[in-house]
Amino acid sequence: MEDYSDSNWNWDFYKELIEDVEENKNIVQCISCGKCVGDCPAAKISNFNSRKIIMKVLKGDKSVLKDSDIWWCFLCEKCKRVCPRNNINIPLLIINLRNESFKKGYGPRYNDLRKYVEMAERFLTQGIVLEEPLGESLPESRVKELNEICGFARIKYVFKASKNKTKPNKKNK
Amino acid sequence: MEASDLALNLDEVALKYPENPLEYFKGKKLCLFKACLEKYFPGVRWGIQDLLEELELDVITSENQTCCSGTFFQRNLITRAQFAAINERNLNEINHIADFLLFSCNGCYNSLLRGREFLKNADVSYKTKELLTQLKGKIKERNYSGKYDILEEPKVKLVHDLDFLYLIRNDVLNTLKFDLKNLKVAVHYGCHYLNLSRDKSSVDGYLRNKTKLEDLVSLFGGTPVDYQEFESCCGWGASQILIHPKEALKITYTKLKSATNVGADFILMPCPTCLYTLSKPEYREKMKKYFGEKLDIPTIHLNELIAMLRGCEEERCITLRRKTPRLDEIFDIITNQ
Repeated sequence: MEDYSDSNWNWDFYKELIEDVEENKNIVQCISCGKCVGDCPAAKISNFNSRKIIMKVLKGDKSVLKDSDIWWCFLCEKCKRVCPRNNINIPLLIINLRNESFKKGYGPRYNDLRKYVEMAERFLTQGIVLEEPLGESLPESRVKELNEICGFARIKYVFKASKNKTKPNKKNK
Repeated sequence: MEASDLALNLDEVALKYPENPLEYFKGKKLCLFKACLEKYFPGVRWGIQDLLEELELDVITSENQTCCSGTFFQRNLITRAQFAAINERNLNEINHIADFLLFSCNGCYNSLLRGREFLKNADVSYKTKELLTQLKGKIKERNYSGKYDILEEPKVKLVHDLDFLYLIRNDVLNTLKFDLKNLKVAVHYGCHYLNLSRDKSSVDGYLRNKTKLEDLVSLFGGTPVDYQEFESCCGWGASQILIHPKEALKITYTKLKSATNVGADFILMPCPTCLYTLSKPEYREKMKKYFGEKLDIPTIHLNELIAMLRGCEEERCITLRRKTPRLDEIFDIITNQ
C-alpha cells in the first residue's frame, strides 16, 4: 500500500493551481479512499485515476500536465457525488489542470478540433452551436454581445485560427 | 445569492398546493430554454410546449437567448467568468419576461446553475461584472432597466422538465389518450441530473427524488425495469465520444446491452444529449463494428413520450427520428387502441 501522508507534499504546484481556481484548495481534504475511481466511466476505459491525480498534485508532480490521463475525464460529476468529503470538486480540478496544460503548450491531441472551430464560429456569429436551430436564431444585432464577452477567450483564438487557416474551398472564399 | 435559490423549490410548491400544484403556475409565464440538440429532436421541445398549452399555461421562448455555452466551458475554450457572463446574460434576458425557466436538457440546466455557483468566487464575480459592464457600455439597445447587471434576486426560477412534469403528474395523466400497456422501460437520468447537487451538506439532496422517471413510467401504465448500468454515463462524456470514440462507445454499448439484457422495450431519458448519444444510427453502426453486435433497443426522451401518450401525430413527437431503431414499433404499440 502506497504511503499516504502529507509529509512528502510540495505546496508550489498546489498554490499555482488555487491561484487560478481557489476552490481547488479543498483537495487537501482528500483521504485517498478511491471512491471516486470506483464507478468512474473514464477509469473503466483508460488509466484515468482521479485519486492518483490528486496525489500527484499534492506532491507537486507537474508531469500530470503532460500525461494524457487528464484528457479522459467525462466531467460527469459522479466523483463529486460519491466523495465522502464535503467540497472536493474533481471535475473543476480537471478543467483547471487542462487549462494549465494548455498554458504550457502541452494540450490535448483532439482529433475533432475542426468541429469545435466550426461550433465556435457559429457561436460567435449566430449565438448557436448547431446550424439551423429549432425556431428563431439570435437576432444579428445581439450577436455582437457574445463577441464582447468572449473577446479575449481561447474561443476567439480558435475562431481566428480557423479564419487564418481557411482553405479556398471553404464557404467564405 | 446562492445557486440553490435560483432553482424552483419543488417542496414549497407541493406544500402550498398539495392538491393541485398546477395552480401555482397559472397566470405566470413559463419560458422554455432552447437546447441546441432539440434541432435533431424537435419533439423534445414541441412535446412539452403542446402539453403546457393544453394545460392552459402561458408558454414562451426568448428570442435573445444564446446557447448555454456549457460545451465551450467543458472544452476549456472559455473562462469561468466568460461562462458565468454568458449565463448571466441569458438569465437577465429571461428574468424580465418570465417567471419560470424550463429545461429539457441536463446540460443547459447544469450550466445555468453552475454559472451562478461560480459567482460565489469573488474573483470570478469581479471579472464577470467587468465583462457585463463592458457589454452595457457598448450596447445602445436597452429595453429594460438594469440590463446585464448581475441579478441580486432573480425573479425567474429554474426547473428541469422532469421535476416539473413529476410535480404536475396528475394533470399530465389527465391529458393522456394512451398508456404504456405494460411496456418494460429502462430509465436513464443522465449524469448531470443524477449527480447534480450544489449543496453537499444536505445528503437529502443527493439521495432522494431520484425515482421520478420510474414513478412516471408506472403512473403511465408501464413497468420500470432495473438494470446493472442504470447509473452509468451515456458515453458522451463532455465530447469523449469525439475524442476517444472507440473507448467512449464501449460505455454506450455496455449501457444499451445492459438494458437489452433485462428485456427493456425502450430506454427513457430526460436529456437530448444522452438521447443523441444513445440513439445516433452512426454510433450504433460503429458499436457493431467495434463490439460485434448491433443493438436495436429504442431510446425516447420523456417529452417525446408524453407527446406520444397524448396522441400527438407522429410528425409532432418523433419527427426526424425515422432512423432510430424500432422507434416506430414503440409508437405503434402505444398508439394502438
